Amino acid sequence: MKRRRMFRADSGGLAPGLDVGALAPLVDMMTLMLVFLLRSYSTESAPMPPEGHFELAGTTSEAARASGSVVVLVSKDAVYIEGRRVIAVNYLPEDLLVREIYDPLLLMRGKKRIEVHVDRSIPWGVLKRVLHTARTAGFEDLSLVAASTSSL
Amino acid sequence: MSGRGLFGRSAGEPAAEADVRPTLLGVVTLMFLLLFFLLTTSSGQRLGVLELRLGSPSDLAPLPHAGLVKDVSVSLSGTTLSVEYTLQSTDISAASTTVEKRQKDLPGVAGRPDLAGLLATLEELHAIDPSQERARLAPDDAATTDTIIAVMDVLHGPEAAPLFPKIALTGSAG
Repeated sequence: MKRRRMFRADSGGLAPGLDVGALAPLVDMMTLMLVFLLRSYSTESAPMPPEGHFELAGTTSEAARASGSVVVLVSKDAVYIEGRRVIAVNYLPEDLLVREIYDPLLLMRGKKRIEVHVDRSIPWGVLKRVLHTARTAGFEDLSLVAASTSSL
Repeated sequence: MSGRGLFGRSAGEPAAEADVRPTLLGVVTLMFLLLFFLLTTSSGQRLGVLELRLGSPSDLAPLPHAGLVKDVSVSLSGTTLSVEYTLQSTDISAASTTVEKRQKDLPGVAGRPDLAGLLATLEELHAIDPSQERARLAPDDAATTDTIIAVMDVLHGPEAAPLFPKIALTGSAG
């Protein structure tokens, strides 16, 4: 039985070295890996809180993020606006309007749009106060950001 | 006429096997460089965005929908989903247009909301009136973001054939 080898001494008259038959599948594999990476990887980095564990919920949505948005992050510990901690979750008032979130957002009304990154375990009772405050501050375009679980 | 071929071989010379190994090695090297570049500049976590519409008591009521399914509302309490919808009568012999309010409760399955049951119900409603795109979602205060987004995904449906893509989250006003 004639076996093909990647490196062979006698390449049928050609100089010894890599066999063409071994290189073609390697190129195919590289192409597949490139397509997979381009499809499944993202160049946009998700904001993370400076401390504590943070995990986004999964979604099947593939809608892309819009640029120029105010980023509000709600972790298990605290609420952050553009990376700055504004209030601890445990100290959120019972009222729907949270002054500690409302005041910084008022200063950013030029951006018009808010992206809310929420930890998957945050209850609606907390999230609705953040969203209501953002809307009251004049932001009509609100979007919830989650980790895309769409497959190839 | 003795012309030269693309690879410099004279047309009159006997064909010799061209060595393509340098070309393939160049391609492989380029692929390696691209892979390295991609792995260093990208992240394995892709993000998806869900547009939010928040209901508010101060909002004006929208105009009634012209189709057969007048409105769709999904409430989430614990692990129980409840779908409320208003259907217009299709009885052509009726003297006046009548609407009927219906409700379907979907108890949780294995400690999770019955998303498969919700999808089946929503697909039935979408089949009755494909022009209805709006739905309301009213989660209870204890519902986690993970569960809310899972229900929103079902309400929205696949990108290729969306069910109710215009989702209004209610309960923001308490």
